[in-house]
Amino acid sequence: MDSAKLPEALMRVVAADLKPVRPSPQPLHVALRMVPFALLASSAILLAIGPRHDSAILGPLLTWGASSAQFVLAIALVWIGAHESTPGGRLPRQMVYLAAIAASLVVVCLTLLTFATSPLNEPLLRVPPRINELLRVSPWIMGFACGIGSTLAGGILVLFFSWTFRSSLATRPTVGGSLYGAGAGLAINAAWRIACPVSTPWHALGAHGAAIIATVILGALIGRYFGKRRLHRP
Amino acid sequence: MMIRYQGGSLEAFQEIYAQLAPGVRRYLSHLAAGSEIADDLLQETFLQMHRSRAAYNPKYAVRPWVFGLARNVFLMNRRAARQRAKVYESREDLPDAPVLPEAERLGSQDEIRRGIAYLHPDQAEPLLLHHEWGFSFEEIAGMMGISAAAARARASRGMADLRVALNSFQRARA
Repeated sequence: MDSAKLPEALMRVVAADLKPVRPSPQPLHVALRMVPFALLASSAILLAIGPRHDSAILGPLLTWGASSAQFVLAIALVWIGAHESTPGGRLPRQMVYLAAIAASLVVVCLTLLTFATSPLNEPLLRVPPRINELLRVSPWIMGFACGIGSTLAGGILVLFFSWTFRSSLATRPTVGGSLYGAGAGLAINAAWRIACPVSTPWHALGAHGAAIIATVILGALIGRYFGKRRLHRP
Repeated sequence: MMIRYQGGSLEAFQEIYAQLAPGVRRYLSHLAAGSEIADDLLQETFLQMHRSRAAYNPKYAVRPWVFGLARNVFLMNRRAARQRAKVYESREDLPDAPVLPEAERLGSQDEIRRGIAYLHPDQAEPLLLHHEWGFSFEEIAGMMGISAAAARARASRGMADLRVALNSFQRARA
């Protein structure tokens, strides 16, 4: 077969769909474009729940400083995800593993450090006193509320983000999508951790950690869906 | 050319195909170790290129982008068909693999093909991408998800192993 000769069937498929497309941004621009959306979602969480009332004990470094660092790491994960999905633009896989390990370690270390500095376990939220009492006597409800709340916030962010940049997921869309999901989950967690009034590791890792894992899975599923859709498009 | 193609030019697609298809086919032929699969994968690669054309950013070089896409198409196909064992065990059917210019004086074309087929795939791929298709180690790193230093080391080890294989073929012939 003369490989330089364009097959008729391929030519027909291409000719049938030649609508102009807008080039995808570079990985760094993809990551930077996530910043305002993630900031907006994080600010909305902080405004809705309000900062935890032991912020003075924790100090600015363990609240705003740590959350800012986590936010930067979240954006870095999106940047790595965008690279993974660029044909010929992949980063060394050690870097991907390192970023995933670093993200997990940051969440665990910040949880333990926060608990060691202020072992707060009194849910005091801007809700009627009856609900505050209910949350206090039943930590499971608080756990579910945090888990579902941050999963929803992260889910909306990753959904919006994956949809906006769906054309960037050209290769390895599942890996790219899961990294987008990890970035969204981590960005939401950066705000949630300074709003949630419970410091106990089981709550922070169980409820907040589960939400990050849920957004990673959601991102992977969205990426997989876009990948399959492109693969099997008529 | 790619920008014209993104703008909706069929002629630009034809030009890209004419320029890149022979090299991509040989690359796929090396990866798949079978020319029939390579032809299918070649069509699939350009079909995927067409569907993913919005993902291309004009700041990238086109060739590594398309070769990266081809590699991904091959890996997806291999995963789907679970053909790895078949591909790398059937070395009797030597693929239409390229013959490295550097190795030409070390053995016959058939011996070089056989030598390349016996190399570990992790070494053979960067070796061919660099010596045969002229990609830089940075470009190879981007395609394979490894560092440029690792790409260089693998290609270098591949060349050393190829020399050893060719020497052993020559000794056997003598």
